[in-house]
Amino acid sequence: MSENKIVKLNRMPAITWYWLKMNETSVEVSPEVKEAAVSAEVPASISVSGAAALPEMLTGSGKAMSAVVDESGVPVQTYTAAAGVKEEAPVRLHFSYENGAEQVNAVDLVVEDNAEMTVVMNYTSDAEAAGNGIVRTRLNIGENALLKLVQIERVGKEFTFVNDLGGQVAESGNVEIIHLFLSGKKTCQGSRIDLIGKKSQMKLDIAYRLQGEDRLDMNYEINHIGRKTECEIAVNGVMRDHSAKVFRGTIDLRKGACGAVGNEIEDVLLMDDDVRCETIPVILCSEEDVVGNHGATIGRLDEDLMFYMESRGMNKEEIYEMMAGARIMALVGKIPDAQTREELVAYLGGNAEDDEE
Amino acid sequence: MAKEKTYVEDIDRSMYDFRNEDEDAYRIEEGLTAETVLEISKEKNDPEWMRDFRLHSLEIYNKKEVPDWGPSIEGLDMDNIVTYVRPNAKRMVKDWEDVPEEIKDTFERLGIPEAERKSLAGVGAQYDSELVYHNVKDEVAAQGVVYTDLESAMRGEYADMIREHFMKLVPPTDHKFAALHGAVWSGGSFVYVPKGVHLEIPLQSYFRLNAKGAGQFEHTLIIVDDDAYLHFIEGCSAPKYNVANLHAGCVELFVGKNATLRYSTIENWSKNMYNLNTKRAKVEEGGKIEWISGSFGSHVSYLYPMSVLAGKGSRAEFTGVTFAGEGQNLDTGCKMLHAAPETSSYVSTRSISKSGGISTFRSSVVIENKAKNSKAAVSCQSLMLDDISRSDTIPAMDVRTSQADVGHEAKIGRISDDAVFYLMSRGLSEEDARALIVSGFADSVGKELPLEYAVEMNNLIRLEMKGSIG
Repeated sequence: MSENKIVKLNRMPAITWYWLKMNETSVEVSPEVKEAAVSAEVPASISVSGAAALPEMLTGSGKAMSAVVDESGVPVQTYTAAAGVKEEAPVRLHFSYENGAEQVNAVDLVVEDNAEMTVVMNYTSDAEAAGNGIVRTRLNIGENALLKLVQIERVGKEFTFVNDLGGQVAESGNVEIIHLFLSGKKTCQGSRIDLIGKKSQMKLDIAYRLQGEDRLDMNYEINHIGRKTECEIAVNGVMRDHSAKVFRGTIDLRKGACGAVGNEIEDVLLMDDDVRCETIPVILCSEEDVVGNHGATIGRLDEDLMFYMESRGMNKEEIYEMMAGARIMALVGKIPDAQTREELVAYLGGNAEDDEE
Repeated sequence: MAKEKTYVEDIDRSMYDFRNEDEDAYRIEEGLTAETVLEISKEKNDPEWMRDFRLHSLEIYNKKEVPDWGPSIEGLDMDNIVTYVRPNAKRMVKDWEDVPEEIKDTFERLGIPEAERKSLAGVGAQYDSELVYHNVKDEVAAQGVVYTDLESAMRGEYADMIREHFMKLVPPTDHKFAALHGAVWSGGSFVYVPKGVHLEIPLQSYFRLNAKGAGQFEHTLIIVDDDAYLHFIEGCSAPKYNVANLHAGCVELFVGKNATLRYSTIENWSKNMYNLNTKRAKVEEGGKIEWISGSFGSHVSYLYPMSVLAGKGSRAEFTGVTFAGEGQNLDTGCKMLHAAPETSSYVSTRSISKSGGISTFRSSVVIENKAKNSKAAVSCQSLMLDDISRSDTIPAMDVRTSQADVGHEAKIGRISDDAVFYLMSRGLSEEDARALIVSGFADSVGKELPLEYAVEMNNLIRLEMKGSIG
């Protein structure tokens, strides 16, 4: 039986001092893997195949992790919205992880020119489950096409999970991504999106809730290659207990991306004193006519807000609990699938701020 | 004798880019071996502990990797660098008239004696590997302020103080070029400001590297005792050669309780220089370190002054501007370590890239768990003046307590066409309009400098902007 191997992943495109230990992370991977069970609800207009559609696509976790998926031999499930197909009903993919197993899945999503597709990927296991899960998702969004992608993680408290994502967007194409991390011992999120076509766009909303000994390691890399490309990244996090997270967010405004705009904002609420919150928001720029912005707020609630809430009769703990819940629920409310929203509201025990009409 | 120029009013590139023949100077053999280190040690008449320290540092240097996270330093071959060049001069003197004519002429062209007469409490001038001049005004010395060369201080009444502090903040194990510095350091200043002494006018050190293919490794050690105040100004320049020169200095600053140290640098090394300098300050309870940093010269820079906020309520401010032009790759920024409660840090930087220059802002803010109720704010803005240049920002934050507030903002963009149009409608040429906007962009640094230096910085920006239109 082969030994487990250590795989490095989530390396930043532009690294910094090694002593910070923020450039990359690693996970232990077993060579004995199998495919996790997936239940799929697929609208009739979306075609499904068992063959890889995007073999050359780079992903955010890096080549070593992609090689793990390729070498595992699991089939790639490809979901395609053909040109001109605008499907409102979501593709629902529910990944159920077994306790103690090493599980790998691979998904390619293709949205051809002028098509629209919504995909909701749910990763769940028993609350006490241990093991490893790796999902690689690759995207190709055609001209004037739209993909709405939601990935929600709720795996067991002893579970290590890698959510690897890579994609490219053609002219006037649009990708809207929601990432919601709600439980898991160690989660590695690697995402790389290349905005290749003129006026292609990406909107990325991330929310996470970490507690206990949870570890969340994120690497987001957005490459502005085409002219007048735009990206908006919003990150909202709540950290409790002894949890730790690293957020690497790179906006790369490449030569030729005239008129490109990249915005990134991060807001992290630290609830307990032993959390560790690491952030490295990178802007790389080799084009003159571009705008890149980043803002981050890490720490406690604003003093004015606290004063206002306290003047309304709430105590400090209640205020923090309410604000923490609101951050997650705000993103739940943006999920473009009523069934998923309801399921999450029940799971979180709150009320979503319903943005969907 | 060359035409005398002030360093303020009459700036042009030739002011920095002149060179003297150094054929009479004593040069150690190129390369870095235990023999060259021992030769430097002998030349310096080191105490035994320092000789051992140098050899230990060399061992560390040989084991450490060249950094791969920053600009390439492949063009720097230590086998071709002369680590010690003693100018053809007597040891350090206190009377300007005793400085050899050629060296005196160099510093007069750079405006150093004039600056001393006008606005400084004391001046140190280093030429290649040796301090050639050091002087402090009588009224300053009368307050107990010590401003002298480090080497003589190491053998005098401050020997124990120096041994206690030397490379304790920046140990040779810190990185490869800190180890190099520990092995071959030469020259530099020692400043001690006694308790409660508030020095109203600044001290200045000026570093001039004249020798071709040489390295400069001066060590600056400043101790500002409790409740004292000091403004220290550092200037650097060198003529341009077609071979690599190296600057791997080290600055260690100790700021006492409720003391304040302002450390200002206008760096204008020639564009064949590898500037791998290390600066670090440790601040005690209620103390404050203020860094003002202007980086204009050098081919490659790695420069990140670090503030260790060790005492409760200590503070740090970093204000920096970096201007990267043709052939330059300037990787600059700062590090803030909050290691005590109620500490605060504020970082404000501006980077400008033009004519193929690369500027990178790199920073770290670490808030340790014990640094309760600390605050940190980082603001970095970058301006791209053309599409052949590059500007990156790589700020890292590591927060280990919930009882802290950390804010960060970064912005990269170009000069607004509307602003240029407005200024041109008021009668400015496009070139002047752009230069004015860039000067304004860098004004956060300029306003923190004494007037003479702010004027020099604006002149440098104007000089760099020349010819950037059309």
